[in-house]
Amino acid sequence: MSKHWPTRLVLTMIAALLIGCGGPIQAPEPTAGPLTITPVLSTEPPTATVSSAATLASTSFRVPLVVFAAGSLIAPFAALEAAFEAQYPQIDLRPEYHGSIQVIRHATELHEPIDVVATADASLIPMLMTGVNDPETGRPYADWYLRFASNRLALAYNKDSKYAAELTADNWPEVLARPDVKVGIADPRFDAAGYRAFMAVVLAQERTRQYTYFADMFKDQFVQPVTLFLEDDLATVTVPEVLETRSGAHVVLRGASIQLIALLESGDLDYAFEYESVIRQHGLEMLHLPDEENLGSAEHEADYGSVQVDLDFRRFTTVKPKFRGERIGYGITIPSNAPHPVEASQFIAFLLGPQGRAIMEANYHPMFETPLADGYERLPAELQALSRPAGTP
Amino acid sequence: MNRRSVLDVFFGLASGALLLFLVAPLAITIFSTTPTSFWDTLRDPEVLRSIRVTFLAALAAVVFGVLTGVPLAYLTARRSFAGKRLVHAFVNLPLVIPHTAAGVALLMVFGRRGVFGQLFAPLGITFTDTVAGIAVAMAFVGLPFLVNAGREAFAQVDSEYELAALADGASPWQAFWHVTLPQAWPGVLTGMLMMWARGVSEFGAVVILAYHPKVVPVLVYERFEGFGLAAAQPVAVLLILGALLVFLLVNTIGRRQGSR
Repeated sequence: MSKHWPTRLVLTMIAALLIGCGGPIQAPEPTAGPLTITPVLSTEPPTATVSSAATLASTSFRVPLVVFAAGSLIAPFAALEAAFEAQYPQIDLRPEYHGSIQVIRHATELHEPIDVVATADASLIPMLMTGVNDPETGRPYADWYLRFASNRLALAYNKDSKYAAELTADNWPEVLARPDVKVGIADPRFDAAGYRAFMAVVLAQERTRQYTYFADMFKDQFVQPVTLFLEDDLATVTVPEVLETRSGAHVVLRGASIQLIALLESGDLDYAFEYESVIRQHGLEMLHLPDEENLGSAEHEADYGSVQVDLDFRRFTTVKPKFRGERIGYGITIPSNAPHPVEASQFIAFLLGPQGRAIMEANYHPMFETPLADGYERLPAELQALSRPAGTP
Repeated sequence: MNRRSVLDVFFGLASGALLLFLVAPLAITIFSTTPTSFWDTLRDPEVLRSIRVTFLAALAAVVFGVLTGVPLAYLTARRSFAGKRLVHAFVNLPLVIPHTAAGVALLMVFGRRGVFGQLFAPLGITFTDTVAGIAVAMAFVGLPFLVNAGREAFAQVDSEYELAALADGASPWQAFWHVTLPQAWPGVLTGMLMMWARGVSEFGAVVILAYHPKVVPVLVYERFEGFGLAAAQPVAVLLILGALLVFLLVNTIGRRQGSR
């Protein structure tokens, strides 16, 4: 067991005392990923060396590799866990899922020993990890990261959702603004899908020149208002520090976008802002948002920059996050204080390699052809071979 | 040292370890919060709103508990009927179901498409992300405390008093109101306080049915997750001190009942 296990145990106990039976988003068992991945896994049976090592490992020590990942990666990472552990039986992958901002805060504010951080927004890593020093080592929490995957924002709904029959890619902001329609949004203070949902609404009103969409959807929904400030070349959404929906609001907030799925399935939501990969993994109905609004198109990257979401934190953190609209890029890094950096690098290499790509693809999650590395020279060598420096053609 | 005192020393050490285990986390949490941050927390409008919602919803749950749980407690203490053991089992079920599972079950019934959800919707009462939803979740997990305490209390009242009242011409209602209930009252009140306290501390079932408006345990969780230990701590202290106060009350009532 790692030398950090007493710390983890104490932290867990304190957390349990503080929060009762609350906990992170639970991942399904590795086998519970989409069934389509089974052929991917079965095409590569473990070699003789691997199975003998597996026998060995089952009776001896396994390295616990702690991976904190965005909730939208639950399905592919659960499948990845099974495939990775089959190839590396000496490693016990321990994934934990949260909203993307939460993923990073577990490393930087709760000081948990984490081996791999994977967020739905790569820009969070330089903002919240590179700029912050670990008080124990005096070094930044991370000094490199890879942009490895993309996605597109879309609307998830089901057949019984109100006005589903009349929903189109053009009128969706108008339909969602109706007071009897329940709309689910991830909390933008904790999850990238949350501030991206605000961005999508602003981009929709810019595309259609219907400048009341944002106000129609969010006016009087929160105890402290979320505001939109329009300038010539920039629309700024400001999220208050205390974000709570009013009683009877038609907007429903949850800590992470993945937590909205169950409410959609139970019929308590009509629509939810989700990533396309997640919607397809769950077999829900989907409205594709136009490229100008889905934050997933390379061609519209410049347009996305016309919107910004500011989080108005004052009390609890020194960083005041501002998110400028850009194409969705998932980021991954190994924190500088990771207990098992070698194994962490093996895991990332596995994710970026053919097996990892096949699993991501089977889970409808698009990856970049070649991941872009920020801080390329500080990457582990095996990851340098799988990426190229950011800013190079 | 005689053999008995050896046993006492060993048991004393074991008990001391247990007390340390129970008290240390609470004491350390309380004492590592500065008075300033605690004072700020007491004036934080979000915290105050959260406390108001939590206390009111727990109170609503207790009112529902009294209206339904006290009659059930009386019946199970005083009458014998077929299926009584099954009723006991159902009442105690919320004690063993993981509360997140209870939340899921409640969402299935009280959600927008659930049976009760649809029943109450025409009256303008909905349960997802509302105080009503919070109260429902609190009632579900807290009712066993009230029903069990109430049953104990009614069982301890000598039925001779009731029979005497009936023989003297009182109606069954009068006998219940003026003879049985007053004697069982301290026990029922303890049950009400326990149920209220259980409701106030509930997280798992509440968070699934109603993340908003945030009850105090949800606020503690959100601040812990979102803003770190330092942000969660003062609110947690408030919750711990509140719980201590309730237990002092429960104990006082219990002592009074014992001294009767």
